[in-house]
Amino acid sequence: MSAFVSVAGTGIIWLALLGPVIALFTHLSWHAITKSLTAPGALDPLLISVESGLVTLGVLFVICTPLAWTLARGKLPFPRVWETGVLCSLLLPPLVIGLLLVFLVGPYTPIGSLLAHLHQSATNTFLALVIAEVYESAPYYILGAQSAFAGVEPRLEQQAGLLGDRPRRVFRRVTLPLAAPGLAMSLSIAWARAMGAFGAVVIIAYNPMGIPLQIFTTLQETGLASALPYALVLLVVALPLPLAAYIWSARAGRRRRG
Amino acid sequence: MLDADVEVDRREFTVRAALQVAPGERLALFGPSGAGKTTLLEVIAGLVLPRRGHIELGGRVLTSTAPRVRAVPPWQRRVGLLRQNPGLFPHLSVRDNLCYAPSASPSEAELSSLASLLGIDSLLAAMPARLSGGQAHRVALGRLLLARCDTLLLDEPYTGLDASLRRTLTHLVASLVAERSVPTILVTHELTDAQAFADRLAVLDRGTLLQVGAPDEVVLRPASRRVAELVGYLGFVPSGPTVAGVHPDRVIPGAFGDRGLVLTGTVTASRPAGAGWEADLRVGDTAVTCRLSDKPPASDSEFVVTIVDPPYFGSDGSRVGFAPASDSEAGTKQVRQLSLRRSRQNRPAWHRQETGATHPS
Repeated sequence: MSAFVSVAGTGIIWLALLGPVIALFTHLSWHAITKSLTAPGALDPLLISVESGLVTLGVLFVICTPLAWTLARGKLPFPRVWETGVLCSLLLPPLVIGLLLVFLVGPYTPIGSLLAHLHQSATNTFLALVIAEVYESAPYYILGAQSAFAGVEPRLEQQAGLLGDRPRRVFRRVTLPLAAPGLAMSLSIAWARAMGAFGAVVIIAYNPMGIPLQIFTTLQETGLASALPYALVLLVVALPLPLAAYIWSARAGRRRRG
Repeated sequence: MLDADVEVDRREFTVRAALQVAPGERLALFGPSGAGKTTLLEVIAGLVLPRRGHIELGGRVLTSTAPRVRAVPPWQRRVGLLRQNPGLFPHLSVRDNLCYAPSASPSEAELSSLASLLGIDSLLAAMPARLSGGQAHRVALGRLLLARCDTLLLDEPYTGLDASLRRTLTHLVASLVAERSVPTILVTHELTDAQAFADRLAVLDRGTLLQVGAPDEVVLRPASRRVAELVGYLGFVPSGPTVAGVHPDRVIPGAFGDRGLVLTGTVTASRPAGAGWEADLRVGDTAVTCRLSDKPPASDSEFVVTIVDPPYFGSDGSRVGFAPASDSEAGTKQVRQLSLRRSRQNRPAWHRQETGATHPS
């Protein structure tokens, strides 16, 4: 009896959490999908979102992976201060991030001037979109990657060093493979956040328009029914990577368990 | 030859030790938990920098603090360290773990020969998670051997393994070390492990090397009362200005004045221990534990025992001599026989049996 109650309770919560996705599929018609997505230029926002998302992932991996490793190994002075900084960027509402980015990379700031000098701009450009996505998704990746690195036993790295590996080689042969499942999960979550980034994007990168803004403008201009196909597209693009990362991490865990 | 003379600061004390280990020699570093044993190994491995010191391995200077601090990084030291946790890489198979070291490029024949010697030949494709504790230690040992380390440092590697497996692994390591002629240090707080493995035993307590010598010599001739306590002496019977150390395994029932110190005490408790018995005696104000092959008398009975060749310690804790024994060294022999007799008031009292021998001084 108690088993039945626990299964039923879990099922109800699970369905409630998935409710919005279920609602999406129940309110979508094949006709509406084809009509919306076959219109000229309908898939341009999708391309822009995928491109900016991939660039964002690259930036996060290159810049934030060493930071996450350093945080995990406690090699920085005052580690709590660094961690609090990362947490702050996670806790800031995306809309506020967008507003503040105007003061950081806007046209009348030193960075903005420097970019202008290089004939670039961080307002309403692809670069601005990437910056907004990086700011919105970085904390998710850093905290996840930090946890993944923290899960690697330092004694294994020490052992690899004693067996003759230089630190860089230890990182490549031991640290990275052992942290890889966690890194993949964090990166895929960051990808989902980047693809769905809206708050900061709407302030500094209204153009070029990615999928989230396409949904927003379609909703405003032609209503809910027309926006739903784009919501489906966003889900289809954003979700496979996290799911693949989840399956891959589970397989890696099974392989390690022999 | 591994030659280390170091001083390392720890929170409560400074570890000071000078050790020389010849190729093929097995040194056991024995002491209680927190004595600084692991710290010493970590200094030799290059994981901890000493405040002062000089470490040489096979003529190569690994660490030197004078005139300036120089330390070869761990990955260039060729020092093998095996800890209690064997530290196998969980994402690599047994085969890949064995061949992990950049210097390890064994031929298939060499790999299978070593795997067969270690008893892991059927496990080469297995992942570490599937291995038992003993198998994991064998793999870790094989990995160090294939890495062609110039010295082996074993940091309580067998803790948590059952006694028979420990014995098997100890003998295996001992034979491999002898075959490859590498200096080896085993850190342990189990005296039996140290004795089973080592050619020499070094006793470390609170960062200080108290005694270094052959395992039997250290146990039978502890340099101080503290060493005696550490190597298992469980009772210290006052004897004039000195105390006699009583090791439970060096007690025989009956009065044999020519073999050592004769004590008469009261049995306070007894219990089976291994294939024999363990009895607690009250000798004056002192409790003495002894292990016997036969069952001791019932509680509260009087029991006469002989402590074979006990060491005597002065008031400062240093050893001042030995009782006579057939295997004692003539030059260091100091003779004293004491027996405890019940006084007329049925209270124990010390009574010296003069035999014309000299008093420990």
